[in-house]
Amino acid sequence: MSAIAIGFRLPPYARFLARRIGQSLALVFCTVLITFTVINLAPGDMVDVMAGEAGAADAGYIALLRQRYGLDQPVPVRLLHYVEQLGHFDFGYSFRHNKPVLQLIGERLGATALLMGSSTILAITGAVLLGIMAARRLNTATDGIISVLALLAYATPVFWVGLMLILVFSVKLRWLPSGGMETLFSGLTGPARFGDLAAHLVLPAITLALFHLALYTRLLRASMLEVLRQDFIRTARAKGLPERIVVGRHALGNALLPLVTMVGMQLGAALGGSVVVESVFAWPGLGRLAFDAVGERDLNLLVGIVLFSGLLVITVNLLVDLLYSWLDPRIETQ
Amino acid sequence: MSALWRQFRRNRPALAGLTILALVVALGVGAPLIRPGDPWAEIAQPDLWPGEDWRFPFGSDVLGRDLLSGLLHGARVSLVIGFSAALVAGSLGTLTGSLAGFYGGWLDDALMRLAESFQTIPAFLMAIVIVALFSPSPLTIVLSIVAVSWPGVARLVRAETLRLRAADFVLACRSFGMGDARIILTQILPNCLAPVIVTISVMVASGILIEAGLSFLGLGDPSQLSWGTMIAIGRGSLRSAWYMSAIPGLAILLTVMAINLIGDGLNDALNPYLRDRSK
Amino acid sequence: MLNPMNISAPWPRRRLLKAGLAFGAGAFLPRLEFARGAEAPARGGQLVVAIFPEPPYLTSALSTLGPAQVVSGKIFDGLLTYAPDLTPRPQLAESWQVGADGLSVRFALRPGVTWHDGTPFTSADVAYSLLTIWKQLHSRGRSTFANVEAVESPDPLTSIWRLSKPAPYLLSALAAVESQIVPKHLYDGTDPLTNPHNLAPVGTGPFRFAGWERGNYIVLERNPTYWDQPKPYLDRIVFRVLPDAAERANALETGEVQLLMSSGVQLSDLARFGAAKELAVERGGYAYTAGITSFEFNLDRPVFQDVRVRHAFAHAIDRDFILKNVFYGYGAIATGPIPPSLTQFYTADVPLYRFDLAKAAALLDEAGLKPDAQGTRLTVNFDPAPIGDSLQRAAEAIRDTLGRVGVKLQLRTQDFAGFVRRIYTDRAFDTILYSANAAPDPAISSQRFYWSKNFQPGVAFSNGSHYASAEADHLLETAQAESDPKERRALYVRFQQLVQTDLPTIPLIAPEGVSVADRRARDYSVTADGAYGNFAEAYLVPK
Repeated sequence: MSAIAIGFRLPPYARFLARRIGQSLALVFCTVLITFTVINLAPGDMVDVMAGEAGAADAGYIALLRQRYGLDQPVPVRLLHYVEQLGHFDFGYSFRHNKPVLQLIGERLGATALLMGSSTILAITGAVLLGIMAARRLNTATDGIISVLALLAYATPVFWVGLMLILVFSVKLRWLPSGGMETLFSGLTGPARFGDLAAHLVLPAITLALFHLALYTRLLRASMLEVLRQDFIRTARAKGLPERIVVGRHALGNALLPLVTMVGMQLGAALGGSVVVESVFAWPGLGRLAFDAVGERDLNLLVGIVLFSGLLVITVNLLVDLLYSWLDPRIETQ
Repeated sequence: MSALWRQFRRNRPALAGLTILALVVALGVGAPLIRPGDPWAEIAQPDLWPGEDWRFPFGSDVLGRDLLSGLLHGARVSLVIGFSAALVAGSLGTLTGSLAGFYGGWLDDALMRLAESFQTIPAFLMAIVIVALFSPSPLTIVLSIVAVSWPGVARLVRAETLRLRAADFVLACRSFGMGDARIILTQILPNCLAPVIVTISVMVASGILIEAGLSFLGLGDPSQLSWGTMIAIGRGSLRSAWYMSAIPGLAILLTVMAINLIGDGLNDALNPYLRDRSK
Repeated sequence: MLNPMNISAPWPRRRLLKAGLAFGAGAFLPRLEFARGAEAPARGGQLVVAIFPEPPYLTSALSTLGPAQVVSGKIFDGLLTYAPDLTPRPQLAESWQVGADGLSVRFALRPGVTWHDGTPFTSADVAYSLLTIWKQLHSRGRSTFANVEAVESPDPLTSIWRLSKPAPYLLSALAAVESQIVPKHLYDGTDPLTNPHNLAPVGTGPFRFAGWERGNYIVLERNPTYWDQPKPYLDRIVFRVLPDAAERANALETGEVQLLMSSGVQLSDLARFGAAKELAVERGGYAYTAGITSFEFNLDRPVFQDVRVRHAFAHAIDRDFILKNVFYGYGAIATGPIPPSLTQFYTADVPLYRFDLAKAAALLDEAGLKPDAQGTRLTVNFDPAPIGDSLQRAAEAIRDTLGRVGVKLQLRTQDFAGFVRRIYTDRAFDTILYSANAAPDPAISSQRFYWSKNFQPGVAFSNGSHYASAEADHLLETAQAESDPKERRALYVRFQQLVQTDLPTIPLIAPEGVSVADRRARDYSVTADGAYGNFAEAYLVPK
């Protein structure tokens, strides 16, 4: 149903898009509502933390701070105010960090994007290679080994992998640094700096990638098997096309679709998982920022990060759906 | 039932998984017998390597706590939390999914929007928020796992309910005047059981992983020594005594792997079986 | 209004001598304890210090969080600084005199000091900071400077403070990290809480702010126009934000970080650090921020209103065990609310409660708490403050020994915000364990836990026990305004004896501050505030 009353009928994609955006906004609002409510139900607020850390205060000081930070108002009022701010693309102010939330997120976004981007690329590339290998050598030893490895990677706790990698590559072999994003004040520029960054990125990216690699490999393998059974593959083979092209272009192209959907869905999970990886590797990203915001009861920052990641997930899923329907004409956009 | 077991039994990896899990459960249950007392008790000499002192076969941690005792008692923590969270999430998800699928309309919209919202918030972050804000305890940990897991079950059950709602035998029941509740409980749910059971088994595994992650970050139940907590404690000695973190990690790995194998086995065994039954 | 030129009425010789010592001696006192060898300090080098959490501001005028103090203490100088034994020494104030009636303090400020932006430092800055910032926006300053009615700045290098009542503790509270002077020309007319210089400070200290990469590090650079030439010696100080204890230890061992301060060190790691060749463990040096770990009762609970019960608890806690096994011997047994390092006021002549389970049991019997069928006499809640591991370990030890006399302590946990809310606002607790600052003067530290007027629900770390003793109040209030040091000491001695008899709180341990650093780092801890000091004298021995 088209919720937008315009004089003419919109093309199907536009209607689809409009409806999805409407749903997404409702979703965003719901998410904010949930996070806001949950964090306000918790005992203690930001002023309790600050006064507690100060080790001393008086009632006047505490009242002053509460009034400053708007914490003396009832929750529904604060929620309304927050939503109103959002309308102006203002994510609020973090009184703990003394910066607007959006600016704080912007500062840490690069590090998180780097980590998540590289781990996603690693996971997808690995999955494609392994998935194809497994599907082609179905039920052979190779397939078995890949399945076992995938299962291992799936079952291992992320933080444990991180620690073991640090143990092997940083402590024992001393090949790679154990934490942080770059060597500070090394004066490195250009390719040398890139190399330094890469060296710091390797272990955390692999750690974050492993779980998803396992997931995607299994998915791709199952998907490939499904596609390889289809008629059009048999036709292609009957035509005498080399196996390489049959698998590489025809089969893979179709098998990738569910993978793409899954990647979009897992984006949110990856962000959550990055909290642990950022902790283990002291990576200055959004995950750790969110974790600290919980203890500090920095409401604006926490809701801001959740909101931001929610928007990201929704946008990516929307793009994936669009891509999906564009690639596969059998899917309707109604 | 016996047909199901026969199918399952043929799947060797699944059987291996079942064996391992049974072993872990046995060790967990037998923990107070094998290693009575408090796993937090600092009874050994600190920093013992496995095998160094036969009384403490897995060694001791930095404060002299017996790692074997920690492993055994930790098994209880992980299993209890994993299973209870999976059961609650499964029940909650089944309830909401079936209601949403059966009645449709605004109820469906509302419940599914709610489920989607929960899924939009990064899962582990939500778990952290819930546990950190409401003080770590077995209840809050289970609650946090339920919060991130129920939407998956709900959507699954909803999809199945939608599919079955229009099936002939359901329509037949309606024409007999069977009430909604009875239809859902006796006709629809039993036919959704297969995918739900598989999902629940996977949720046990992910529940254990989430609990381990929370414990690692310091948000575990402070009165219980869990595997994740052991890894966190051992982290400070990673350079010299890496076994303190390695051993509990292996325990988690084996247990989760076993559960996943069982889940795969159930999936293979149940699906053709139930697909036939619903025809 | 007193004539400012007439404040010094003739003083008795004894007092004059004492004042003279305080005034001038600081310049001549030899460096105690931390002088390490006769090498001349080497110039240059970069020192990396690990801190956590990330400070909200870089001025401790507005934030009393540890890291804010650590960083800002090097950017700003204070009126005074303190030798390791807490004797005041000149810094931005060259000399000071307290009026005979104790109602005024006159500071002669050091000439030739400039802010990092070149503007001269004057008494106007002191006046602004005191009246607008410390008295209104600093959590402790509000009470520390409550008695300051007016500040006069007759000339750019003189600051005269008028007090409504004598405040002998005032001179102890003037370290840079406690009462930080901010530049009036950058703060006046703005809202101090949102002033951008809170994040990019301009100070008078040996190091200038050079950059802050959020979540990662803060960097300070040498101030070439520092008043105390030829200091400082270091070129640069980098503060790395490392929230994880294991990460900090790791960074120290690989040399990525050269200094770990007391609050960042896990005591269980100290043995390992001590054994490492490149590291040196530095004991003490935190006298200014000395604290006491205490067990506190909620006196609103009827069972705790019987003093025999409180004494019984005291006899059932094994302080020696806790000191040895939780604090690894780094510290001393606390016999009262005032730490032994505060030698001016401390007395050991108080009732002591030896670890004696039989005595504890007898006292509980007397109080009518007999064991039931399972041997339990009493079950109460126990909330250790969620600050660091040591408190948690100590809490476990306390639960263990009290359990042996039939008192079941049910350990509860929550995070910091939850703790503050539950204890100080909801007052939904039976017993707690916490650590609090007990320095540099009892009037601005220990008093807040025993003064009945500081029973303020909603305020963290106020009088949580709800102790209300007219005698204690009288002693505290009199000592607060008593200018004669001997009299003052006598009052605090009586106070310690009183509260150690009443025992609303059981002080347990006075932990010792410990820093761990690269062996090449020298003289970073030469004042009473240790590594919170300004690092003007710190240097790195070249490799």
